[in-house]
Amino acid sequence: MSGLAGIQAINVFGGMACLDVRELCIHRGLDTSRFENLLMQEKTVALPYEDPVTFAVNAAKPIVDQLSEQERSRIEMVITCTESGLDFGKSLSTHVHKLLDLQPNCRLFEIKQACYSGAAGLQMAVNFILSQTSPGALALVITTDISRFALADANAVQEWAYSEPSSGAGAVAMLVSDMPEILQLDVGAYGNYAFEVMDTCRPGPDTEAGDADLSLMAYLDCCAGAFKDYSDRVQGADFKSTFSQLCFHTPFGGMVKGAHRQLMRKLHKAKPEEIQEDFEQRLSPSLTFGQRVGNTAGGSVFVALAGTLDAGEVNEPIRIGLFSYGSGCCSEFLSGVATSKSQSLLKEMRIAEKLDRRYRLSIEEYEMLLSGKSVVRFGTKDAELDHQIIPSAWPVSGNGDLLVLDNLVNYQRNYKWI
Amino acid sequence: MGNPLDNTEIINILIEEIRETVPELEGQPISASDSMVDLGVNSIERSEVILAAMERLDLKIPMVQLHGPKDIQELADLLLVKSAG
Repeated sequence: MSGLAGIQAINVFGGMACLDVRELCIHRGLDTSRFENLLMQEKTVALPYEDPVTFAVNAAKPIVDQLSEQERSRIEMVITCTESGLDFGKSLSTHVHKLLDLQPNCRLFEIKQACYSGAAGLQMAVNFILSQTSPGALALVITTDISRFALADANAVQEWAYSEPSSGAGAVAMLVSDMPEILQLDVGAYGNYAFEVMDTCRPGPDTEAGDADLSLMAYLDCCAGAFKDYSDRVQGADFKSTFSQLCFHTPFGGMVKGAHRQLMRKLHKAKPEEIQEDFEQRLSPSLTFGQRVGNTAGGSVFVALAGTLDAGEVNEPIRIGLFSYGSGCCSEFLSGVATSKSQSLLKEMRIAEKLDRRYRLSIEEYEMLLSGKSVVRFGTKDAELDHQIIPSAWPVSGNGDLLVLDNLVNYQRNYKWI
Repeated sequence: MGNPLDNTEIINILIEEIRETVPELEGQPISASDSMVDLGVNSIERSEVILAAMERLDLKIPMVQLHGPKDIQELADLLLVKSAG
């Protein structure tokens, strides 16, 4: 038994289209005087022919394509982690399994716990690997979430306030194994903090409800509580000195900044200058991709991890602390070790370059999508997707490696590669 | 904590912390009947103010227990109740 487990490969897919968030705030008449504090730039907007399955598969395909036939045959578990499910019974992982052409001897299921789903999925996979019940097996964990606001009426815009600019879309695929070249998890080093709270929820297929203050309070309570549980389990753990880099669940950067400030004050009585300097050094790299895709819910802490590996300095093995929070609520603080190899492997995924290639929606195009006429709603039986709804967003010539939704026939979703 | 504070002192602490957190409010009058939202204090700043007040009152409780007050007066009332244990 190797006792090693963690993330062997990771990829982020940030969709086909994005929107400039500052433009949106100005358009909505939101106060932009302290906009910079929110640390947001762009958000991914899911096009009508992009759904949680296309996001998941597009994130996972580059990872699976790198595997040999033999390795691919060892993927024995596919966990989709989402709050954007398409069916009450059937999990997204069944579609993903088919579209990635994986072997039938595989566990397929889905995990839901708001934005905590990804961390829960990772821990399930890591514990499967550590248990060595199937030595050499691989597990694929994929977070996939999209937020579709439905422009019911003018009042809806008012109710969304700041949640509209921060809500994004994206998927993160992680191959979990006993060869954790991206992040070797510190086995047994984790802390949880959970309690029932009605801070943010999705009570209907296209609706999000919640209370920003309560959610922020719960996030802050969890950040302190989960780290406390971590430090109770890990002898000598110190928030300031144990971790070279930190990755937090990122609804938007400003929230991460608030949580970091709270811990630095509470645990180390740090002064504002020291807090700012520490934030720049240990958390800024984690915002690299998050501020371009918006809140990706279940994947956001791993979007942060990818950002840290892409933008941070990793010349020697570094310990990274991760904090995941999911409304409702459950949270976890965990840690792992990355190396310079992790960084070079991550860069091979060319995440930034792919984000640059997204189509930049105009406000008019965005609002046309918001009107919802072209969206396939939850429970739709039959539909044909209009791929030319925004002609410029459709790739002129594809390589056959990007998945889009084509149509629905008797609830069956049919996809095609372009 | 040391001597128990009264409601007015907690209101003053809150107003001081609002001014500290949002220097842009300089010159603008702030009273107990104002809500932080109406003053233009955003959600991150509101949590900063509450955390700072908790620190000054040496109050160690989950923040979610301080959710709900509509204005500074109500927040001070709640902080007073929580401080009294």
